Amino acid sequence: MRRETQNILLVLVGGALLKISLTGAYLQYVKPSHQFWLIGGGAVMVALAVISIGRDLIGPRRDPAAADTPAHGAADPAVHAAAVPDSAVHAAVGLDPAGRTAVGQDSAGHAGPESESQAAADHGPDSHGSAGHGPAGQAAADHGSADHDSAGHDHGDGTHDHPARSAWLLLLPVLAIFLIAPPALGADSVLRGDNRAAASRAAGSDGMVAFSPLPAGSPVPVPMSEFAARAAWDSGNSLTNRDVQLSGFVVAQDTDVYLARLSIACCAADAFPVKVKLVGQGTAGLANDTWLEVVGRVEPGTATKENDYIPTLTVSSITEIPQPENPYEG
Amino acid sequence: MSTQTVVEPEPAATPPAPKRRVTSLEVLCVVLVVALLAQGRLVQWLDVPAIQTGATIFVAVCVQALPFLVLGVLISGAIAAFVPASALNRLLPKRQSVAVPVAGLAGVALPTCECAAVPVARRLMQQGVPTSVALAFLLAAPAVNPVVLVATNVAFPNNPGMVAARLVGSLATAVVMGWLWARFGKAEWIIERALRRLPEPDGRSRWRLFFETSRADLVDAGGFLVLGGLTAAVLNVVIPRAWVDTLGEQIVLGVLVMAVLAVVLALCSEADAFVAASISGMPLLPKLVFLVVGPAIDVKLFALQAGTFGRSFAIRFAPATLVVALVCAVLSGLLFLGGA
Repeated sequence: MRRETQNILLVLVGGALLKISLTGAYLQYVKPSHQFWLIGGGAVMVALAVISIGRDLIGPRRDPAAADTPAHGAADPAVHAAAVPDSAVHAAVGLDPAGRTAVGQDSAGHAGPESESQAAADHGPDSHGSAGHGPAGQAAADHGSADHDSAGHDHGDGTHDHPARSAWLLLLPVLAIFLIAPPALGADSVLRGDNRAAASRAAGSDGMVAFSPLPAGSPVPVPMSEFAARAAWDSGNSLTNRDVQLSGFVVAQDTDVYLARLSIACCAADAFPVKVKLVGQGTAGLANDTWLEVVGRVEPGTATKENDYIPTLTVSSITEIPQPENPYEG
Repeated sequence: MSTQTVVEPEPAATPPAPKRRVTSLEVLCVVLVVALLAQGRLVQWLDVPAIQTGATIFVAVCVQALPFLVLGVLISGAIAAFVPASALNRLLPKRQSVAVPVAGLAGVALPTCECAAVPVARRLMQQGVPTSVALAFLLAAPAVNPVVLVATNVAFPNNPGMVAARLVGSLATAVVMGWLWARFGKAEWIIERALRRLPEPDGRSRWRLFFETSRADLVDAGGFLVLGGLTAAVLNVVIPRAWVDTLGEQIVLGVLVMAVLAVVLALCSEADAFVAASISGMPLLPKLVFLVVGPAIDVKLFALQAGTFGRSFAIRFAPATLVVALVCAVLSGLLFLGGA
């Protein structure tokens, strides 16, 4: 793969990271604390590509002395070809003298016969004296890597092409983010997973614990995972006879309707569901993935080992809500 | 998109060329244009719940891991440009058998995730560090750093032995693999490109070398990271989780199931403790196996290693790592958790 293509791919991937981290879409894939990593990572990717592009464009011009001295020009690529391991980099640095010559031609208006032959000597048959077309830097860059492409094949070293080809895969996340923008995980993920309850994780135990009492107020907003943990493990029964307000999405399984929320520790790949069974009026006929705010009371003693610690909530009111900005619980 | 403006002059520059090949830049443009035009159909076509779940997991793995890979290539570039090979050789003990555990402990100090460790390990090899020592670092760094240990402690608040068991199990895996490589490993398994020595850069070219190696490593490894993410996403969707519960009750079967699950899920080492903790009805030993095997080898790492060190290295190293990690985890578990 050519050096310019690699740089453009890096800009696209870095740009995709920056885009989702700045628009808030990243919350559908990773947890909130990851934002700074994404911004940093994206910025560095773009910066590496921009530095490399800038060097290709400006580098040859800044160093006219070197271009004038053929001895130096010849020594330079030799050093760097040895210095840098990959075909990609090899290409990068190898283009230096080519770039110089091409720019030299361009700024001179037209290449004289001497510099023409100089260029030919430097690059072999691939060098075409086309620096007159387009902006100087572009032509220079084109020239250099076209030159390298064939040089790489002349090496007869099959491994050289291999890593370059794999870089095409970087296009996949770019296309996925910009064009498809996969939604946050929902009912399908819950139905696909097993019925592992997050209760044990939220409580940090598999046994009864005394929870601190719920805050005052009615109804009390409670995170789903905390609700499930209290329903399963609270020796003080802090949920009994309290109106709680939960938000999550609908998962219909067999004849039952559940309110579910996915909990992630790092990214969506490690998401696991917290489920609460809904009973009462208005629970029938809800479509999967509808986001709801539900007020109700727990039915004490419903979260047992037999039902994977899924508590039952008697619903008193149901409100449809838009998907929250952070669809997961941490 | 920015690509189009860059490419426009391309066709104009062609006529005098003796032979004409389609360049990657043009291919990239065509792909982007086609993707843009077909967006509507593409979205419609992918509107199947299973594919959407897979796509979300794929993007999540990539998005989560890429910043860490960037960190890794920056460290790798800095080692290449600013740490002379002689300094590394002075730091490490002369005897390989002693240097391997030292490298394993050095991994404790570097809080990198597994994707970051791969380019760093390759750079260490290029700087003349013995392969066995670099591999011990590769296996230890993601598994036993402080961030991971704290996360493990948070996930298992009632089992403090878990942290010690994980530390010892992972460290033992790294050291044993390093020793095994020193004894049986062959340099020709690793592709020559990964081992080529870098000459000492002079003052002026140091920064240039830093940027160039970082950039090239990123392009190289990035593709394989994406491949690993893709594999993990597909397996995540295809493999039914239900068998984890049904098989997990049996201790021997549970150990094997959790080892396979660790390889298949390719979780970040900072998150896997929470996932392991959330699997109810599973004894601690299989959970420990999950934590020790996961950072040492998974599908994402396999893709990265195959790309960085070559396929003939990866197909030998990965299975050996899996077996060694499994054994180390079980022994460490019996020691610290009493087989509970």
